[in-house]
Amino acid sequence: MNYQYIEQLIERYFSCQTTLQEEQILRSFFVGEDVPGHLMQYAELFRYENEAKQESLGSDFDEKMIALIDGSEKKTKTLQPQRRFTPFFRAAAVVAIVITVGSAADRAISSQSETSAESAIAVDPYIRQSDIQNTIRVKDVSQAEVKPQVDTLLVQPTEMN
Amino acid sequence: MDFTRDILPLKNVLFRTALRITMNREEAEDIVQDTLLKLWERHEELSSVSNLESFAISAARNLALDRIALHQNKVITLNEELHDTADSSVSVHEQLVMGERTDMLHQLISQLPEKQRTALHLRDIEGKTYREIGEIMDISESDVKINIYRGRDFLKKNFKNL
Repeated sequence: MNYQYIEQLIERYFSCQTTLQEEQILRSFFVGEDVPGHLMQYAELFRYENEAKQESLGSDFDEKMIALIDGSEKKTKTLQPQRRFTPFFRAAAVVAIVITVGSAADRAISSQSETSAESAIAVDPYIRQSDIQNTIRVKDVSQAEVKPQVDTLLVQPTEMN
Repeated sequence: MDFTRDILPLKNVLFRTALRITMNREEAEDIVQDTLLKLWERHEELSSVSNLESFAISAARNLALDRIALHQNKVITLNEELHDTADSSVSVHEQLVMGERTDMLHQLISQLPEKQRTALHLRDIEGKTYREIGEIMDISESDVKINIYRGRDFLKKNFKNL
């Protein structure tokens, strides 16, 4: 067999004149078993290049990476203002309901007793009506998954009083 | 952009390149991890990158070079300790499989200056064009060729003499 082509390629390889394709031909040639004696000195190099390409990281690395990415994902999400404030809005809504319902009940009770001076205010139809309206509105909001409007609603009872 | 689909598959080329630079498996794995995390942090900007793989290799190489610089500072004080653990780029299993001559070739490659070693690696193991290697290493195409030429020449001369 004539190895002139391979010899030429080797020469051009060492003077940086081979194409990527020709370099692949060399690697494939040296992987084969029938390498003649005078070319054996190069076999190790091209076989090494072939084998080095197999070097890789296992699936345990993938699992570690995905766990790290998932972890950092959760961290960045909690830092988003909308999400961070959601519990606050929920709590505010609950507090608003308790206060409105509580004060409405309080006034209803005190309006029944005619002795205190507050009863005059409590009986006032305007205040009672607004209380009832607020109760209904806050309840609506709490059912509709709490939006930022809640805090403007929270201000309203004092404005109306 | 999806992490598992677009970024994670770069792990092996990054690992091999980092390993070639640091000659240390653990360190190379750390570098791959750091590089992938950084890429993912910036994944929204990456859609404008024309060649993600080259970009990633370049980032990994810079991290590897930083680590090497850090070691070189330590070498002054910890010379002996580092010398003992110098080359851990070959796993125990590979050492058993590898022939004596392959081991010597490996030693020769580790003696090359980093630029020659990386350029040679990107060409002969990763199959990159001169242009791509130039982009990754931030040098001109002719500098890439010079580095590869010198690297191959060194291996040829020294391997013959073994």
